[in-house]
Amino acid sequence: MDALRAEHLEKHYGQGDTLVRALQDVSLRVARGSVVALLGPSGAGKSTLVKALGLVSLPNAGRIWFGDQLVVDNGRLLASVQELRRAHLGFVFQRSNLVPFLTARQNVEIACEIGGTSNPKKRALELLDWLEVGHRASSMPDTLSGGEQQRVAIARALANHPKIVLADEPTAALDKVRGRAVMELFRKVAREQDAAVVVVTHDHRTLDIFDELHEMEDGRLSPTALATVAAH
Amino acid sequence: MNLAYLDVRHRLGRFIGTSLGVALLFAVVLAMAGIYLGLVDDATILVRSVRTNLWVVQQGTRGPFADMSRLDPSIVARVAAMPSVKRARAFTYQVMQREHAGRSLRFALVGLDFPVDRGEALALTHGRPIVQPHGEIIADASLGLVIGDTLHVAREELRVVGLTKQLLASGGDGLIFATVADAQLLAEDTPSDAIRAERERRTERLRQTDLGRAQPALEALTGDPDFRAPALASSPIAAVLVDVEPARADAVMASLAQWPDTSVFTSAEQEQLLLDGVVDKPRKQLALFAVILVVTSSLLIGAVVYMMTLDKTHDIAVLKLMGASPWRLGGLVLQQALAIGVVGYGIAVAIGVQAFPHFPRRVVLTEDTVMGVFALVLTISTVASILGIVHALRVDPARALEG
Repeated sequence: MDALRAEHLEKHYGQGDTLVRALQDVSLRVARGSVVALLGPSGAGKSTLVKALGLVSLPNAGRIWFGDQLVVDNGRLLASVQELRRAHLGFVFQRSNLVPFLTARQNVEIACEIGGTSNPKKRALELLDWLEVGHRASSMPDTLSGGEQQRVAIARALANHPKIVLADEPTAALDKVRGRAVMELFRKVAREQDAAVVVVTHDHRTLDIFDELHEMEDGRLSPTALATVAAH
Repeated sequence: MNLAYLDVRHRLGRFIGTSLGVALLFAVVLAMAGIYLGLVDDATILVRSVRTNLWVVQQGTRGPFADMSRLDPSIVARVAAMPSVKRARAFTYQVMQREHAGRSLRFALVGLDFPVDRGEALALTHGRPIVQPHGEIIADASLGLVIGDTLHVAREELRVVGLTKQLLASGGDGLIFATVADAQLLAEDTPSDAIRAERERRTERLRQTDLGRAQPALEALTGDPDFRAPALASSPIAAVLVDVEPARADAVMASLAQWPDTSVFTSAEQEQLLLDGVVDKPRKQLALFAVILVVTSSLLIGAVVYMMTLDKTHDIAVLKLMGASPWRLGGLVLQQALAIGVVGYGIAVAIGVQAFPHFPRRVVLTEDTVMGVFALVLTISTVASILGIVHALRVDPARALEG
């Protein structure tokens, strides 16, 4: 079953001679429990697609479904963006983007609170333990290593049992070993949390982790890149 | 989870520094309010302290505080003779500055109509009322005098026999009470030659009157400063204080109002005259300062809160991506603005309690003032947070996705 489906997405900026078509007829399906990579050079439209799927910057045209729910129709949002984010989405960023004045636990706990989890503290500690950073629960973000920060960020993204996790270059600030460890965590998230994980990455050394690879170029998903990991 | 509290705790040094800055501004606002109340209290305390019903002053004036009033002392006897008048007292008032113990002493000198009025109505903290017709004074402790101190003024020695506390004139100067005769001596404080010449002129004038010709023995009295021969020009008094039976106050006032040479005011009217005349401009000036300070405080808190919100722009974007409601984000900014205001105000009150008693002018801090300014602080903080809240609500969540 698809956790995320997008059809014929279009996104353009400017007009006339300055028109930039960031997304051109992009369609994508991501099944629950799968990890999908978005590859491509800078400016290809990967981040624009993630922003569209995360309802951060809506497409000008096309449709998006979260599960069976149509949430964007012809560039128009059909429900409360806050509700949709709380119920369906989790984000992981290039840098961990942890709130600097909250401890690791509080960073996860605040996401649980916003999502309306009944026992946010317990849920936060469970997630940190599951991602093997429970021992750093009381630490402030600036005392955590880059890998630990990303684990806490992933825990935060999972706070409200999202069906879709969107990660924008989550290993860009990490070395090879830590980067691979984080990518493996995404697979763990997909398998054990039954979430659809979409990862924008430049790191070709970790492609074996993904179930599907999609390559973007000039705002289009390249048909030649629709190869599964099994085919590699 | 209270994000405002956690953020403040994380940046405690900056929060305390900001609160201290705000506290100093609020302390000045409090001082302005307190000085104003002190001004009002000082202006009216003398009127309240002498405890009388009516003030008779020179016709057409608003004396003796807001305006100069000169009355012939004989009016005291005229008033005392009226029906329903229980007591009539002469009253003089003059602000003076003299040297004492090597320093400049500025005070308001009030003449009491001894022996009718010995200062018993004054709230003495030490000593006793005046019992001698000459040479004794009651002084306010703010002048730095103590019981037994002697003032050498106008070749007279005036000994402090009683002390009051915070009994000040509208200008903030401490009050000294003396007998009317001594007060007039001090007020006139003329050189010896001039006094001798004046005595001679008095004697000469006395000789030219029927009274002087009929009673030559009166000449011996012309050297007495308290001498009040009706035919002679004697030192004027400022007002006559009239104590009447309360039920007959209106009737007595109506009668006095008919006199061609006097005007009459109730004590309440006298207080209002002081407030309108003496305190009005300082009051407006203080109010203007207070308004400027309130606006400055609002701008300062607004700027600080806005900068704090700008610093958190990225965090706010992340919270928005999590689905944080506008209420939570707006609440974060508002709570921090209120925290700065409340903590700053707490420090301001503490500063005020410690520092205000050492101010040269009296600063009166009442519970109503403290609570009223606190309400103002809450309003200022709320208004000051608006810019920060607007910024927080406008933050584009896409900024969280930027590296």
